Amino acid sequence: MPSEETKERIIKAVDLARTVVHYGWIPFIIYVGYTRSNPQPSLIKLISPLA
Amino acid sequence: MSSSIPVPVDPPLPAPGPSSSSRWPYNFYNRFSAWRTSLDLPNPGTSENLTKEAKGTLLNNYLFDGARAELSKSLSMNPMFTVTHSFNLGSQTIPPSYGFGAMFANEQLFLHGNIDHEGNLSGRLNQGWNANNVTKLQAQLSGTPGQSVLQVEHDFSGSDYTLNAKAVNPSPSDLTGIYMGSYLQSLTKNLALGVEGILQRQTPDMSEIATAYLAKYTSTDKSWIATAQLQGAGILQATYWQKLSDKVDVAADLQVVAAPGRRDALATLAARYELRMASFRAQLDSTGKVSAFLEQKFAPTFSFLVSGEIDHFKNAAKVGVGVMIESSSMTPEEMGLVPPPGHLPMPMPQP
Repeated sequence: MPSEETKERIIKAVDLARTVVHYGWIPFIIYVGYTRSNPQPSLIKLISPLA
Repeated sequence: MSSSIPVPVDPPLPAPGPSSSSRWPYNFYNRFSAWRTSLDLPNPGTSENLTKEAKGTLLNNYLFDGARAELSKSLSMNPMFTVTHSFNLGSQTIPPSYGFGAMFANEQLFLHGNIDHEGNLSGRLNQGWNANNVTKLQAQLSGTPGQSVLQVEHDFSGSDYTLNAKAVNPSPSDLTGIYMGSYLQSLTKNLALGVEGILQRQTPDMSEIATAYLAKYTSTDKSWIATAQLQGAGILQATYWQKLSDKVDVAADLQVVAAPGRRDALATLAARYELRMASFRAQLDSTGKVSAFLEQKFAPTFSFLVSGEIDHFKNAAKVGVGVMIESSSMTPEEMGLVPPPGHLPMPMPQP
């Protein structure tokens, strides 16, 4: 069983990872899609529902 | 000499004979696996997809009320990259919402994310390592603490069996969470049986184990499928799905709860018509609910949805209408819709 200190550290790391994923997941998908798309779309078409 | 003997082509039988594997455990294993290969059993599919066909016909997952609009824009076909804007309004059950989704998929990787205006994120990642191994991650993250869910899953499909391991909200510090493992094995060409174990550890010193049993019978021409799932607490779910023609299929679902103190059952009957420009589902269940769902395509990029449910016993009704608009920033050539060169060149539509 890990010590209390390690546990606290793990919980903090998990919290940080969750925050990063929460705010970073959609930008990450858009980045991956944008860079690997063929042909590469323009950014305005990506975000705006009307363009 | 041997040319007169018909040689079986499909199951490659390993040549029996003295080799390095003549000691008994290896010998036994080799003979067992040779016998298993010679049976040529199909892969039974994953335990998660056990009732996939029936679920696709039943309209529980399609029903909605209020108004909804979905604007999806496909930005690339290969790899697939799509962004979606969705709007929900006027529903009796869920508050109005706006959601933005993004999806990326190539042969190995599938990424999907959807975030609503309150900042709740649902995300999905599937990574296929090779033909047999797939790892899936699924997360629901919300700003309010204690409502986030993370699910990690790995599927291994062998030639005639499927293994799946799943962990829901695993905590590395005290190993709490829900852990599931399932094994589904084809016994004959039609029948597959499986077992599923669930370990729930809500706190480090309290854990609970439950088992479930799965069975699936597929007819030889795959025109009908019957499944049954028996869960430890006396919950039985049985489904039956049949394809009547290429356009019509029907499904029946029966859920029985026979736990001490609670006895309940729900039967559902559904039919689906898959027409060229429309798909129609109708459903009737034993709680007196009649529901229908129509998806009508007016153009390849525009479809119109109507969904309705009448609860005859409670005298309540739900109606939903929706539109789905797909716009593309690509020319038809880029989408691969235009026939190969040699045909008459089509004028390029200007977006």
